[in-house]
Order: sequence, then C-alpha cells, then structure tokens
Amino acid sequence: MKSLRRLTALTKAGVVESLQFRLGTFVTLFANLIYLALVYFLWKAIYASSGTDVVNGMTFYDTMIYLILATAIFNFLEMFIVWDMSRAIQSGEIIMHLLKPMRYRKYMFWSYSGSLVMSFILTFIPTFLVVVIVTKGAVPVGWNLLAFVLSLLLALVINYNIEMLVAPICLYTESTWGINIVKETIVLLLSGASIPLAFFPETFRKIVEFLPFRAVYDIPLTVLLKKNGTDSFDGLINAIVIQLIWCVVLTICGNLFWNHAVKKITVNGG
Amino acid sequence: MEEMIVKKRGFAFYLSIYKKILIQDLKSKMSYRADFIISTFGMIMTNLSGFVTFMILFHNFPSINGWDYHHMLFLYGFSLIALTPVQCFFDNNWNLRFMVRSGDFIKYCFRPINVFFYFISEVFDVKGIGQFVFGIATFVYAWAHIGIPVTVLTIAQAVVFLITASLFMIALMNFSAATCFWIINSGYVMVIMFRFKDFAKYPASIFNSIFRFIFTFIIPIAFIAYYPSLVFVTPDDVPLISWLSPFIGVVFFWLSYKFWMYGVRKYDFTGS
Amino acid sequence: MTNEAVVMKNVSKTFKVLNRHEGLKGSIKDLFSRDYNTVEAVSDVSLTVSKGEIIGYLGPNGAGKSTTIKMMTGVLEPTTGEIMVNGLVPFKDRTRNSENIGVVFGQRSQLWWNLPLVESFKLLRDIYLVPQKDYEEMLELYDSLVDLEPILHKPVRQMSLGQRTLSDILAAFLHNPGIVFLDEPTIGLDVSMKAKIRELILGLNKVKNTTVILTTHDMGDVDALCKRIVIIDKGRKIYDNDIDHLKSYFGSYRTLRMRLGDDSWIEQVIDEKTTDVMNVIQETQKKHKIKDIELQEISTEEVIRKIYEGGEA
Repeated sequence: MKSLRRLTALTKAGVVESLQFRLGTFVTLFANLIYLALVYFLWKAIYASSGTDVVNGMTFYDTMIYLILATAIFNFLEMFIVWDMSRAIQSGEIIMHLLKPMRYRKYMFWSYSGSLVMSFILTFIPTFLVVVIVTKGAVPVGWNLLAFVLSLLLALVINYNIEMLVAPICLYTESTWGINIVKETIVLLLSGASIPLAFFPETFRKIVEFLPFRAVYDIPLTVLLKKNGTDSFDGLINAIVIQLIWCVVLTICGNLFWNHAVKKITVNGG
Repeated sequence: MEEMIVKKRGFAFYLSIYKKILIQDLKSKMSYRADFIISTFGMIMTNLSGFVTFMILFHNFPSINGWDYHHMLFLYGFSLIALTPVQCFFDNNWNLRFMVRSGDFIKYCFRPINVFFYFISEVFDVKGIGQFVFGIATFVYAWAHIGIPVTVLTIAQAVVFLITASLFMIALMNFSAATCFWIINSGYVMVIMFRFKDFAKYPASIFNSIFRFIFTFIIPIAFIAYYPSLVFVTPDDVPLISWLSPFIGVVFFWLSYKFWMYGVRKYDFTGS
Repeated sequence: MTNEAVVMKNVSKTFKVLNRHEGLKGSIKDLFSRDYNTVEAVSDVSLTVSKGEIIGYLGPNGAGKSTTIKMMTGVLEPTTGEIMVNGLVPFKDRTRNSENIGVVFGQRSQLWWNLPLVESFKLLRDIYLVPQKDYEEMLELYDSLVDLEPILHKPVRQMSLGQRTLSDILAAFLHNPGIVFLDEPTIGLDVSMKAKIRELILGLNKVKNTTVILTTHDMGDVDALCKRIVIIDKGRKIYDNDIDHLKSYFGSYRTLRMRLGDDSWIEQVIDEKTTDVMNVIQETQKKHKIKDIELQEISTEEVIRKIYEGGEA
C-alpha cells in the first residue's frame, strides 16, 4: 500500500510537470495536426498515382488511420530514457538513484508514467476520436477496441524495455547521440511506424516478423484495424501472445544487462 | 600611449580562424574514437532507413504525382546534399537554448569577433559527411538515369542551387533556435522545424494550395529541394520562383542571421 | 590619451521583468504581454578608474555588480548615463572594446573545452591578432609567474577547478588588454590556489600596468589586491575610497576576543566611542572566568559586513 502511494506520487509529479509546459504542448499539438495533414496529402497523391484502391490489402483510409495512429502512438510512447540515463551517468547522479530504496528500473518506469498518462489523454485520445469521426466508420468499433488498449499497454512495456536495454550502453561509451539515433531509426523502421509493414517486400517482412519491434506499433494497429488475421479470435490471441513473449524476454534481458552494467558503475566509482 | 588601431577582420580572417578551430576540433574528436564510430554508424543508419523507406514506397507505387522513380531519387539526393551544411556547420544551434538559460552564452560576447560566427564555429559535426556522401551518390545516379546533360552550365547550376538551397534550412534553424532569447523552453520550435524538413524530399505539387503557400512563404521547405530541382528535372518548364530561389535563399539566410543577432542584443543576460 | 581606464557617469540600468501568467492562456498572453515590472539593477552610479589601478567592486548578492560589468564589457546597454572604457562606448563599439579588455567570469570557462590550453592560447592569439613576438614574450612572462608545465598541454575539460581558473586568467591577459574584469575569480578554490591566483594577478598588474576590476565575496582577495574599493548595494554606490580610509572610518571599532575557562573563545565587535572595553571585560568576568584577552583591529570582512548592514559609510 505504501509503495503504491509512492508510485502514484511519482505519477502525479509527472502530470504537474508536463502541465507546466502547456504553451509548448499547445504548439506541438498544432504542429502535429499540420504534420498529419502533410501525411494525408502525401498518401493521397501516392494512392491517386497508383490507379488502384487497395494496395497489399490496405485501402487509402486504412493506411491513413494506420500512419496517423502510429504517429499518435509515437508521441504517446516517446521516452528519453537513453538521454536521461546518460546525463545521470555523466553528472554522477546515477549513484543517488542507486541509493534510493526503489529499484532504478522501476523508478524510471513510474516517473515516466505521469507524462505517459498526460500525453495519452491530451494527444492520443483526441487524435483517436478525430480519426474515428473523420473516417466515418473506417475504424471498426467493437471488442477490438478493448483488445487494442490491452495491446497498447503491452506495447508500452515492450517499448520501455527496449529503451532500458539500450540505455545502459551509455555506461560503456559516451556516445549517447549515436546510440539513441541507431535505436530510434531501427525501432521506427522495423516497427512499421514510418511505413506500414504490409507494404514491405515479402522476404523483408518475414525477417521483421521475428523481431520485437513490430510488437510496439504494428501489432496494436493491426489489432485495431482487424487486419492480418486478428479479426478471428485465434489470430487475436496469437498477436497478444507474441507481445507477451516479447515482454518477458526483453524484461529478462534488460534485467540481466542492467545488473551487469551496474557493476561497472561500482567498479569505476561513477 | 599608443594609437588605437582599428584591426580589420575580413572574410580571409574568419576563414582561417574557422579552419584552425576545425582542425583542433577534429584532433580532439579523434581521441573519442568509439563515439566517432558509433555516431557515424548512427548517421549511416538514419540515411539507410530513409532510403529503405523510399524504396519500399516505390516497390508498391511506381510513381507519385507524375514523378517517377528516378525523378524522386533526384529530389531525394538533392535534399540530402542541401541538408548537409546545416548538420555539419550549424549544429551548435541545438545547444543555444541551454547556453542562454544557464548564462554560459555570455562568454561569446567578450571576443572581438562576430558572436554568431564564434558560437557556430565551436561545433563541427563530422557525422554530416556520411549524409553528404550518400546524397552525392544518389544525386549522381539519378542525374545519369534521367539523362541530364553534363555541361559546365548544368554543373555550375547544380553547385549554385545546392548551396543556396542549403541556406533555407540553415535559416530555419537560426530562426527557431533564436526564439530561445524570448521564449523559455523553446526547444519544441526546433523539433517541429526538423520534423517538417522530412517533407523537403517530396514534390510540393502533392500539397493543396494552402500548404504550398505555407511551404513557399512561411516555412519555406519547398525551396530545399523541390523548386531548385525543377531547373534540372523539367528544364523546358521552369517556374520563375525556381530561378529566384538562390536570391531568396540568400535574403532569407541574412534575415535569420539578423534575427539571431537581434536576440543577442536584446537579451538581458540575467541569471549570473 | 587620458589617464582614465573607465569613466561611468550617472549610469542606471533597469530591467523589464514580465509578470508571468499561469496556464496556457497565460503563457500565450505572456508572449504578447506588455505587463512589465521594472527593476532597477544599477541606479545612478558614477565611477572613475585610473589606468593600472586594481579596484575591488563589492556588494552583496544581487547588488548589481555583474550588471555593471556587463555594461562595461559592452554586453548590456545602460538605460541612462554614459560609460567610456578606454575611450570607447562599450555597447556601441562592442567589438573594438573587446580588443582591449579581458574577462574572467568565475566558474565559467571561456576556453575551448576539448582543446589543450596551448591550442586555446594560439587561437586567442589569432583572434586578437597578437604579433608572434608579443605572444612569445607573454608566454615567457607567464612562465616566470606560474608553473605552466602541468597545464599547458592539458585539455581544459580535464583540469581541476583551480587550474581552469588559472588558465582563464592567463587567457584574459594574453592579448595584453588595458583592463581585465575578474568576476569572483577565487570562488570555490582552496587556500593555496587562492594565494597563487592573487600573486599572479598582482604580478601581471605590476608588469603590464593592467587595470583590474575585481568583484569578489572573499575579503582575502580584497586585502591582498585592492587599494581602493567601491561598494554597491541595491544598485547604488555606497562607498568609494581607499581601503585604509574605510578602516580608519571604522577605526574606533575593535574586535575583543576572550578565552573562557573552558578554552572557548568569544568575540565581540566594540565601538570604542560608545562602549568602554574595560566595562565589557568586567561584565563578562562576572559571569565567566577569563583566561586570556585579545584586542584586534577590525578586519575588512567585518567592516564590509557593517557597511552592508548599516547602509552608509
């Protein structure tokens, strides 16, 4: 009970902090709308040039919904753990974190939860509603919404674990920028955030299926749109199970790597 | 007491100072070899991922708005080259808001050289070179496949138009970085600008008139690749604005520089 | 040429401070708001500094010291009044003014972080267009004043705070400027480093006849370096005279120290005009056993504290 109160305190602090940057939030929101308009024009031109309505099982509306919500998920999931950790390492602050009663990995997760809640309410839900209303029925509304929320929650955990798997590399090298950019490009490309996985060439897609990244963007979105076999119960369970497996695998890997990396701090004395 | 001599510092002076700082900077970067390698790898990954996205798009859709594969590639290569100088030479703008907020920025105001130059010269980003090579390769490949004639004129045009096109992104960065002299935590302005720049590689003709207007006159990313490319891609039908783009680029850059310097002069330098 | 390094006439500097509003509407309003409070950081300060002088520019935190220095270096424009530094108006002629000044701002290094010190020196030589002969002479002078060997080829980022400050001071004198501004140069340093730095400043001032304007909270700096001090408080100049005059003004003050039975010392500042020292001793003796007595001249530190507290001198 006491630990729960501590966790909610962290969440609350995060909410307050992100509220203080409201002008920035407002401008960013506005810019996101423009950005979405650009995506719209781009794909409209692409589909207009292709001559057919359905490409690789995706209609123009499917692609739009997929990409817009991918952007919304991107904004929702965006964490700066790699940056935070490298700064904490360089300033020596990491030692303070290690001395705190709460495990560092847990601490990071819950201190981010506040801004996650905020961005979910402030950016994700509005975007989602606008998409549902504007596309007039292109988003199937039913039990898939529930599955989507569950899948999104798993995606969040997976994304956090990917971050936590990458961040400790900062203990071995000062190259934060390099590490971060490599992580970001790989995640965005291979998760289907910049272009739907359905468009990938056959062999390429086969490879990507075996990587954890698609569990962050592609799986929640295909679940929502009932694509790729997730309209059947078996297909849906299959998708969620894949996410669960990645959750477990990445958490274990992350823990092992973190424990190994922490030894490096104690050896070096910070 | 000696006469007060007014020392002249011209273009040659600044060039030689920049060269010296650059050499020293590169030397010290070499001592961080791991960082250098990882960052370069990261930069190559970004470009590669952009390229893969591009290829996947054309794997599914053979043309966009009348622009076929090689024409799009030309535009893509053009934008990569034009976006290199901002990455290589003006990257310190990202640090501006932190420096201003902490009060460290004041140190740039005590030297008898141009403040903008002094600030910008401090960081040279080697990683941009990878992007440059990538861009050149794409550009040359597309150039050859489209069959643009190789003459002194076209090459001179390419050089002039590439350099002036790069001024647009530099100017956008200067403008958005300098907002920190007035707005606290203005980092998002830069982030937004950098997201918009991703659209520089697409033909502006795909947008409706409102966005074409915005991208021409307000956030002029259409000048980074689209307008100057028309000079090469459709040489028989070049709109006036393409021919004017070098001049607009120079003026826009000059305005951004003035805005930046105005921010320095108006800033209170409290916080120390 | 005149013999004045700095002339300030009735200089004031007011800042407009925006009244910030809460929330989203507030922050948009702030962007266009004209709802300002004006704060007078420096008000009506006049000051003349002669060539070759070292003056201590003192005052409590927020008194306007940094603002004055920023005006003298041409970073800020005075709201009213006139400033001439080496015969130039700093803000109008920032570039030319900076040819002939050197600045050290406390803990903020102005050197290239990643470069060895000697490379920073070479860059500064080129930036200030210092002739090679003068540059070499300066390095020789430095070598005679401090031990350059351990720092010359070390990157600034690897230096200790003391080494960094030392390097920054050397860099500030490198182009042989007429005036050097030192803003809290000894802050955070250990005793031996402080002594080293004071010695260096004094040496450079003597050899090069450089005017030094020093702000500090460390009275050790003042005692070691300054003949004259200027004190400002709440933006106003409240004292400008010799340090000896200051002491003689408070000359009737003594610090009485008494060692008690348990070997602890107690201290009391006494104004002899109003209080009799013997009376204090007798009063104390009624309550405690006194083993030892010392009567000291008042220290600069205490004088300054008295001025900060009491306002006028």
